[in-house]
Amino acid sequence: MGKQSNIQKFFLTIVFIILYAPIFFLIFYSFNSNGTMSSFESFTWEHYAAVFEDTRLIMIVFNTVIVALLSALVSTAVGVLGALAIVYLKNRKLRNTLLSLNNVLIVSPDVIIGASFLILFTAVGVRLGFASVLISHIAFSIPIVVLMVLPKLLEMSDSLIDAARDLGASGRDVLTRVIIPYIKPGIFAGFFLALTYSLDDFAVTFFVTGNGFSTLSVEIYSMARAGITLTINALSGLIFIVTVGLVLVYYALNRRNRTPVTGVKK
Amino acid sequence: MTQQPIIRFENVSKRYNDDTTVLNNISFEMERGKFYTLLGPSGCGKTTILRLIAGFIEPSSGEIQFNGKKINDTPPNERQVNTVFQDYALFPHLNVFENVAFGLRIKKIKQAEVKRRVEEALRFVNLQGYENREISEMSGGQRQRVAIARAIVNDPEIILLDEPLSALDLKLRTEMQYELRELQQRLGKTFIFVTHDQEEALAMSDEIFVMNAGEIVQSGTPIDIYDEPINRFVADFIGESNIVDGVMIRDHLVRFAGREFECVDAGLDPNEKIEVVIRPEDLEITSPDRGKLVVTVDTQLFRGVHYELSTYDKDGNEWLVHSTRKAQVGDEIGLDFDPEAIHVMRLNESEEDFDRRLESYEVSDHAE
Repeated sequence: MGKQSNIQKFFLTIVFIILYAPIFFLIFYSFNSNGTMSSFESFTWEHYAAVFEDTRLIMIVFNTVIVALLSALVSTAVGVLGALAIVYLKNRKLRNTLLSLNNVLIVSPDVIIGASFLILFTAVGVRLGFASVLISHIAFSIPIVVLMVLPKLLEMSDSLIDAARDLGASGRDVLTRVIIPYIKPGIFAGFFLALTYSLDDFAVTFFVTGNGFSTLSVEIYSMARAGITLTINALSGLIFIVTVGLVLVYYALNRRNRTPVTGVKK
Repeated sequence: MTQQPIIRFENVSKRYNDDTTVLNNISFEMERGKFYTLLGPSGCGKTTILRLIAGFIEPSSGEIQFNGKKINDTPPNERQVNTVFQDYALFPHLNVFENVAFGLRIKKIKQAEVKRRVEEALRFVNLQGYENREISEMSGGQRQRVAIARAIVNDPEIILLDEPLSALDLKLRTEMQYELRELQQRLGKTFIFVTHDQEEALAMSDEIFVMNAGEIVQSGTPIDIYDEPINRFVADFIGESNIVDGVMIRDHLVRFAGREFECVDAGLDPNEKIEVVIRPEDLEITSPDRGKLVVTVDTQLFRGVHYELSTYDKDGNEWLVHSTRKAQVGDEIGLDFDPEAIHVMRLNESEEDFDRRLESYEVSDHAE
């Protein structure tokens, strides 16, 4: 393994510039007092102030986060149970069928999921709004959680469960003291992925949201259609910083899990 | 024999999907405080017996008794049995201390008591000072010891060991054989050890159960099984052996390799067809005119402790010889052996008949 050649370094740099340039471009103009994205006049916080003054917008951010947290929590719980059920299913045919059904949901386009939920909700008579958005977010997050937890479960040797039973553990002890701790990294990964999927979902939400309820992605979309204001830039800049913060928190959590727990636990 | 056996199998069978039989109508007893070994090739059902005792699987038919009580339906967490698994099955999310403490924590034992017992168990396996290590930081031999400590800390009546040494290198394996044997004697617990390694079985056991194809072929002390194998399978599986067809002329006289030989076996029908076993180390090289057998050396391997000679007699029987003396490939040599070195095996003899016959003539022999 030699050191990276200059060409490799150059290529990597180009790729990252291309990936991040639009975002920084957007954030850069969020400080523009001119009010357009064509020429930079002078530095200002006024667009950020506008974001915080707009209570409707703040409410929408709040909605988005609540939906994301709730849907991630519920889908993680259901997804973990689902993954457990799939792995410990005796009937191999049923097991493979369930797995395939799970994977189909992941690859099927959001537009189709959104449209089908819209049809379902109108047929059943669910009012479009918070509940319909939450339900559909939970629904499309579950397969993601299952997919993140499954590899950890499959990797776990059956003899660990035998060992726990052998040492006196009841079925519940086995679940809470062996299986859950073992697959914890998978559960965390599933939770965070579900969170991000919910946060930035546009297609599904666009279909199932109704009057009076909106999430950020849908709102930004409609703002952009009405004509671009730099408030959108400021908002995007804030979201970007929060996202970077979340990623850092995730890494910190992951690292803490790996460091040895010293001493005798109570 | 007033003491009750700790484990008793009565006509136990285990079948999967009603067509593959893993255990075929097995009955045996195990006494408290002894070191038992279940020995056999892979797929012979030895691990199945272990899993039946641990309670991970249930027998298809028959009865398993623990201290005289039927335990067929008792779940593993309610049995006073602990297992050391082949892959150790240590919990990767817990450190050494918590791995060993797992069983005690389940039983909600007080912290001070847990600490005392875990430390004692770790001392038993020479792992003091490793309490706070992660499992991933331990070597194979150390993990092995943690697994043993985790089993003994619960003070079970029986400790089951499922090929626990197979993942270790040769030197460590030999070392662990001594340690396990010593540990068993210090604890005075019943150990049931599963292996396919005959050397391990011979070195450690009080009693060996040799298994093949879902049945127990022979059981007895290592010396019994080595010196008096019941049939070709056992003779072949335990140690190296020369097995040739022969005829029992009458008591104490057997004919094989074209000659008649004096032997110590008796209790067979006159002119019965039998098989003869002679261990390679019981054959001694002499000059052709003084040897009981005359053979030609085909190949010679240096094995360190001894030379291993592959030789053939006139009839084409192969005779394996272990000797500290060197021979010349292609030479004709004589082989000498004592009457006691000959072991006669009846074809298709049941273990009960075999034991009875052995007893009948060994008593008279020992009287001399």
